[in-house]
Amino acid sequence: MRWPLLALLFLPFSLAAKKSAHEQLVDLAAAGNGLIKLNEKTYDLLTSSKRDWSASIHFTALSPQRRCAPCKEFDPSFTAVARAWAGVAKEHRDQHFFATLDFDDGYTVFQKIGMASAPAVHVYPATEGPNASAKKAPFTFDFQHGFEAGPLAEQLSVHTPVPIPYKPPFDWSRWGSVASLIPIVTLIFRFIKPVLQNRWVWAAGTVLTSLVMTSGYMFTRIRGVPYVGPNGAWIAQGFQNQFGQEVQVVTLVYGVLAGSFLMLIVVTPRQMSAVRQRTQVYLWTAVNFLVFNILISLFRVKNPGYPFKLLI
Amino acid sequence: MPAAYPLPTDLSPTTVANTASLLRIIALALISSAAIASRLFAVINFESIIHEFDPWFNYRATRVLASKGFYEFWNWFDPTAWYPLGRVVGGTIYPGLMATSGVIYNILHALNLPVDIRNICVLLAPGFSAFTAWATYMFTKEMKDESAGLLAAAFIGIVPGYISRSVAGSYDNEAIAIFLLMFTFFAWIKALKQGSAFWGTIAAVFYFYMVAAWGGYAFITNMIPLHVLVLMLMGRFTSRLYVAYSSWYAIGTLASMQVPFVGFQPVRTSEHMAALGVFGLLQIVAFGQLVRAHVSSKQFQGLLFAAVVFTGAIGFFGIVGLTYKGWIAPWTGRFYSLWDTGYAKKYIPIIASVSEHQPTAWPSFFMDLHFLIFLFPAGVVMCFRTLRDEHIFVIIYAVVASYFAGVMVRLMLTLTPVVCVSAAVALSSLMDAYLDPTEPEVEDEKKESSTPASVVAKSSTSTTTPATPATGKKSKKSKDKETSAPAGGVLGELVSNVASSAVAANSAAPTQKGIFGLDTRVVVLLNTIGMLLFFVVHCTWVTSNAYSSPSVVLSSTNSDGSQHIIDDFREAYYWLRQNTAEDAVVMSWWDYGYQIAGMADRPTLVDNNTWNNTHIATVGKAMSSPEEIAYPILRKHDVSYVLVIFGGLIGYSGDDINKFLWMVRIAQGVWPDEIQEPNYFNRGEYRVDSEASPAMRDCLMYKMSYYRFAELFGSQQAVDRVRGQQVPAQGPTLDYLDEAFTSENWIVRIYEVKKDDVLGRDLKIANAFDQGKKRKRTKPTSRRKAISA
Repeated sequence: MRWPLLALLFLPFSLAAKKSAHEQLVDLAAAGNGLIKLNEKTYDLLTSSKRDWSASIHFTALSPQRRCAPCKEFDPSFTAVARAWAGVAKEHRDQHFFATLDFDDGYTVFQKIGMASAPAVHVYPATEGPNASAKKAPFTFDFQHGFEAGPLAEQLSVHTPVPIPYKPPFDWSRWGSVASLIPIVTLIFRFIKPVLQNRWVWAAGTVLTSLVMTSGYMFTRIRGVPYVGPNGAWIAQGFQNQFGQEVQVVTLVYGVLAGSFLMLIVVTPRQMSAVRQRTQVYLWTAVNFLVFNILISLFRVKNPGYPFKLLI
Repeated sequence: MPAAYPLPTDLSPTTVANTASLLRIIALALISSAAIASRLFAVINFESIIHEFDPWFNYRATRVLASKGFYEFWNWFDPTAWYPLGRVVGGTIYPGLMATSGVIYNILHALNLPVDIRNICVLLAPGFSAFTAWATYMFTKEMKDESAGLLAAAFIGIVPGYISRSVAGSYDNEAIAIFLLMFTFFAWIKALKQGSAFWGTIAAVFYFYMVAAWGGYAFITNMIPLHVLVLMLMGRFTSRLYVAYSSWYAIGTLASMQVPFVGFQPVRTSEHMAALGVFGLLQIVAFGQLVRAHVSSKQFQGLLFAAVVFTGAIGFFGIVGLTYKGWIAPWTGRFYSLWDTGYAKKYIPIIASVSEHQPTAWPSFFMDLHFLIFLFPAGVVMCFRTLRDEHIFVIIYAVVASYFAGVMVRLMLTLTPVVCVSAAVALSSLMDAYLDPTEPEVEDEKKESSTPASVVAKSSTSTTTPATPATGKKSKKSKDKETSAPAGGVLGELVSNVASSAVAANSAAPTQKGIFGLDTRVVVLLNTIGMLLFFVVHCTWVTSNAYSSPSVVLSSTNSDGSQHIIDDFREAYYWLRQNTAEDAVVMSWWDYGYQIAGMADRPTLVDNNTWNNTHIATVGKAMSSPEEIAYPILRKHDVSYVLVIFGGLIGYSGDDINKFLWMVRIAQGVWPDEIQEPNYFNRGEYRVDSEASPAMRDCLMYKMSYYRFAELFGSQQAVDRVRGQQVPAQGPTLDYLDEAFTSENWIVRIYEVKKDDVLGRDLKIANAFDQGKKRKRTKPTSRRKAISA
């Protein structure tokens, strides 16, 4: 009486065993909408030494206590690429699998292959069959183009039987906001028209733009430098380097200097009281001189070889 | 009206005018000589030598032009560059620079002055800097007045931002291009002010010269249309604008198409479409104005307006459609990378790899422009106060150029002129206000008590009231005469006239202004003069220390302060010239292509004209692959010698190991399967010591750089002085290459590529056999087949 029950219990396993590894993987992929969620067992299945399929495996650590911010950032990209692959014709689709292995599901695998950091993407080429690759070692995807799905799909396409038909999703929110901006602008155009026609609005915009640009704002944008350095240092070492905060400080310094000149040129000569005017002249000249001193000493920090100094 | 200091009153107006003009001429002459003299540091500290990389090609081309004549130069095909492809030089260069030197050379020789072509090339840039100072003077004179012009000329004469590209020996396109840029802009402003087709044509002719001289002409091609477009949007369309732009565009575009390298680009590429579109729009607007002048119906005017907008939109979408269909080439990568700053790094690593294409950090701005950088916004505000048509040009120029200069260090050069002009306008306004001896009349006690409020009110009203466009100088002067009777006779009148014309826009409301007392003037002027003196000292220091190195010859200072010249480059190039076959192909990274061609006179695989990415990537692949893979590549390209730059011994940081990652990146762009950047790192660190990654240790570049390096140190630990890392005592070995030459300080190392083994063995096995090692029992590798494969 017991045996048949036990046999029934084992039935699913035996059925599964009858299925070839490839069929199991196809089922898993279909269940996961193109993406296989791996554990130790299925990892071994997927990367078995005799395989006529290839696989892109994404190693990650998504659980909150692992505190892997890049993992969370990259995960949607990989999922999107895997989705895109699910739309390929069947005969090609089943030659390549996308899979994700979370650290908490298979830390022994991480240990086994010496994976110390996440996220990572390895591509295991096929070892048998028509798509077999001469190289046995898995290819490692490098993140030099960032975590976006576009470059990922482009680079993985080299290893898949056919290129991954990935298209970046239409950015509805962006175009929607642009589209909604148009009626808003037309509606309030009457009210902002005097602002747009005021030359001093434009002057402020122009001067601010050139101040910010000449303070190295584009450098921080292009290089993606942090706002401040480690342990609160806000001046980056080196002549060809700077932090985000330096842009603000230098803009302020330039702005104050330019402002003091403008005060002396434009405002002070209009002051009709001799005493007040004299105070203003001395005040702005002093501001000009002192801030210039500060600027020079700031520059000496950046360029220690600079031989000139004023008071400070 | 009281005066702060007395002025002589017994001078006739003609005397004053004549003296002023004589002083201006003297000042301009002195500025020119200062501009030339400060660029001669390079000649005095080193010698009369061509600098850097690109100038060597320009020099070589100029030599061909001078010795063989213009037509020969025009049809010159250079088989030694880009071996084995060759290069059609005449059709792929901007010939303006060479033609200029050629003309000067021929004139001097016609005058029986046998000047060497090299000296003309070396001194061309300083000479043209004097012209630039003059052109800037003329340009600034149109913005404000002569005194601002003189200041601007003095600034641009010595400012490091411009000197960096125009020291003696820096024989590059920029040497003449900035003069052409400023003069074209001056002619454009003149044409716009006068509505003169003559000045428009002058602008077009100089635009043509600029197109023939520098690829940066696209800056003018887009600046002038942008100016016109903004003027039209501001409702400032005039027939003057129409005449000036139409004459400039029609003649300038036709002329620019005569340069073979440009050809049909002005009608086929997106960079030039703005100029074409604005030209079309201008015609439509002009037509609309014409019709409006003849038709009175209000409805019809509305219809006309709609028609103008409609045709404008059709034109715009037409251009977009043509671009989409491929009739108009989209923005080229070089220009596109200015907008999308991540673009170059992703898709064209060659452009991103050039050091002068890096973004600019703020110390560079201050280094190159010093106190002009913060006078510049003040000057822009001064332009907003008057806001005539030409001031709008300066304002647009300021915004556009400061953005570009932030994106690329190299474009600091285009920012410098507008900074000088704008700063000069601000500084000269300051001087005007504080040199004017006129003192305002002291107000009585009653008024004084209410001044703070009234001043605030005044300044705020002055800012909001729209200024009437300038109506000519005479009316302004007469107005000023009414409001303030200047003290001090003619000279005083001159000074105060100059002063008040600067702030003439606000003269609509007759307000008294001026400075009380002498001490205030003295304080402000002392501060200003101090800053100017500091500026001069700064410029001299920067020029002599930072921008006057030829980079072909290096120098260091001995412990006793004397100068030590490091001449490894020329030593090695002359070795190549004298010890190798004339057709021996030399492979090096592209940076050194022009120098090898110019100094060693040997064919090169790649050079600084980076037109063929694949060819460069091939060199990158050879450098970053192991010897066995690199050897077939070298043999396929007939390479006899490989040249590497190595600074590890004396700490020369611009060497090939530091550039190596770019070679890897560029090679990876073409062969992503074979070359991968992460392989050259050890856990994210770029190392050359015993911890270097296997790919790094095996690659040709590493081997050639550190071959026998450790032996130099004997029993001591070998240290790479650039990277500050300890190099393993057991250095790399070479099987397929042989060390041929190493220069005195090891900066240049040249390797000879071994010929095939006489017994047909693989060179590695042959080497092992020679060293008495037993051959391993393996299948003989058939590497040699790879050559034919």
